[in-house]
Amino acid sequence: MDMDIEIYLRPPELETPPYPPKVITLSTGKKMIVRQVDREAVPILLQAVKPTLEIERDYYDIVGARVYAELLGWYRYRVRDEFCLIGQIDGLLVGIVNTRSYSPQVDISLHTLAIERGLRIGAHLFAAKMEYSIEYLGREEVLITAESPIGFRRWMIEYELEMRDGQHELGGATPYALTRELYFRNKDRLVAGERPVPPELMEFAEREIIVASEDDILEKILGAKRREIR
Amino acid sequence: MRPVVVAGVGMIPFERRDEDSLVDMLAMAGWNAMEDAQLGDRSIDAVYVGNMASGLFNHQESVASALVDRLGLMPAAAERIENGPASGGSAVKNGFLGVASGFYDIVLVVGGEKMREVIGPKATDVVACMTHPQAEYIYGVTLPALAGMFTRLYMEKYGVTHEHLAMVAIKNQENGLLNPYAHIQMKITMEGILTHPQAHINSPIVADPLRLYDCCPVSDGAAAILITTEEIAQKLKRPIVTIAGVGQATDTHTLQERSDPTDLRAVRISSQQAFKMAGLKPKDIHVAELHDAFTILEIAESEHVGFFSKGKGAKALADGETRIDGKLPINPSGGLKARGHPVGATGVAQIVELVWQLRGEAGERQVKDASNGFSLNFGGFGNNVLAFVLRREA
Amino acid sequence: MKTITAYKCKDCGHVMYPHHYRCLNCNGLDFKEISPTTKGRLLTYTIVDQLPWGIDERGRVLGVVEFDNGVKALGVIKTAKPRIGMRLKVGWQPVRVISGEKVYGLTFRKTK
Repeated sequence: MDMDIEIYLRPPELETPPYPPKVITLSTGKKMIVRQVDREAVPILLQAVKPTLEIERDYYDIVGARVYAELLGWYRYRVRDEFCLIGQIDGLLVGIVNTRSYSPQVDISLHTLAIERGLRIGAHLFAAKMEYSIEYLGREEVLITAESPIGFRRWMIEYELEMRDGQHELGGATPYALTRELYFRNKDRLVAGERPVPPELMEFAEREIIVASEDDILEKILGAKRREIR
Repeated sequence: MRPVVVAGVGMIPFERRDEDSLVDMLAMAGWNAMEDAQLGDRSIDAVYVGNMASGLFNHQESVASALVDRLGLMPAAAERIENGPASGGSAVKNGFLGVASGFYDIVLVVGGEKMREVIGPKATDVVACMTHPQAEYIYGVTLPALAGMFTRLYMEKYGVTHEHLAMVAIKNQENGLLNPYAHIQMKITMEGILTHPQAHINSPIVADPLRLYDCCPVSDGAAAILITTEEIAQKLKRPIVTIAGVGQATDTHTLQERSDPTDLRAVRISSQQAFKMAGLKPKDIHVAELHDAFTILEIAESEHVGFFSKGKGAKALADGETRIDGKLPINPSGGLKARGHPVGATGVAQIVELVWQLRGEAGERQVKDASNGFSLNFGGFGNNVLAFVLRREA
Repeated sequence: MKTITAYKCKDCGHVMYPHHYRCLNCNGLDFKEISPTTKGRLLTYTIVDQLPWGIDERGRVLGVVEFDNGVKALGVIKTAKPRIGMRLKVGWQPVRVISGEKVYGLTFRKTK
């Protein structure tokens, strides 16, 4: 690689404190580890994103395609100040969320991709990235938009977000803001997780990010099971 | 009245079924019931379709006419029966009357609803359209809200706790895991939905005191039964299960006008009618399907039906009496909580489950030695209720 | 102040809201139109976080109030900490927008 040129192509980066991992007890009683991953994890995450590119239901295809591009861009230094958190149950990857920092005051929420459904994994992971932006990165607000009706209902109504002028980075949709004040007002109701993560759980999660098979991912998202009894 | 036999039953899995239209689903369930009855080329005299809101959910009306056309059953009589969440039960009752009266010999009853065509809050609004337009609807009342107000009073009066409510959800979701037709296939734990300090985030408030896991999911689905006379049923060579008792009663439209809002009068009266007609008592029932659209309802109904005395339903639940291996298994199918509640389908699906149970065809969730079954289909917030007693004939 | 119309049976005195053709208590057919009094008592309530489409808010409190003259009606309770039995004062405010129109209904506040 010609680093003489590359150095001009790579965006600058803000210094950021890490996201401290946490563990969430789900309604099944299972424990989901929420933790930050660095660039090196991207190739494995992309394996999980790829099957979603062809799922029209709930706009998974649009969300999947954009997450794919965002993660790849970040991996190869073409996205500025992106962070990525993942959820794992027994090592298995169940969700991915990412955000980009716009300035030391403002973050832009990018995507929430839940691979396992019906356990509020998307809601827990979305809350976790808001927690990172506001509490650990010290942002004043996070700009949010939604590509699916589920996302709209979940974020805009659940968090009572404020509408903002201008365009969101994702397709120019109307941006909504989660302010520091709104975050803390809703935190007890929406942000779960306990710290520190017991070392044995953390070690297990870090040992390997297990990605479900393509068929399993499709089944989890589409609920397309039990067809044989039709 | 002539005895009426359920000669065939059929269902399709309840879930979110984006790829099927309402009429597709009705046809699949109806066909399954016809096949199960081994009807051969006998003709069906009439078709009753239980459906609450195809106009608002799917922008389609006259679905019974569409169904006979799809199945090729013309010139069978056909009509849609709308009675809110008791539409399915009402369709069964109308089919029953048709055969019992001697007017028809073979009747197909299908219940179905496609609710996931609209997003959750719109489905909530469609269902809320059955509340009183001026005295309730304008305030944003939802069915969970009416249930929430009822739950608050019931908890206070009878000592029902959040833990009891969670026990209903946990039991029924466990049963749902044994039912391949159930929408929700997930085991939940008391820790995950109630006792963990952060469980309130997993099970957020819907209409306090009711939380997410106290409410049935929003589902697409259909179920069907084929009913006929004893004489024809004997030729069909299927086990004979009769509809031995039918009851139906109404109550005030609004909750506020009931002198005791914790008294589910229509449940009491419809159940008494059904038991009287069948010549049976609540203690004679071996398996029951109750209308647990909200966890509180399984407890309250189990008392109003007469299975347990008032205020004792929660204890019976906590003692395990209503588990599949208990003294009186309630909702072995998973109930509305786990099987799902495509509103028009529910009353029919309850009968389908009872027939499977009474025939001994319920697989892993089979209740031992069951020959008498009971179902309750609860419409509105208890303002229009149907009760059925089914009996396996020797 | 605008409010709802309730009905008192001229035969047995039973108070009803909403309207019925026959008295729910005695089947009587003659009613006197009455207004609820200005104050009442909260019989039950719920705090609704999942409201139907068109009401973009969380935590709306809905409750049934028994007015001092026996009328019972549902309304929006505008107090953050409702409890059964609390005394409330009635109001008449927009409660929902339906087809672009503001619809008015009963609202209740804590009495001072």
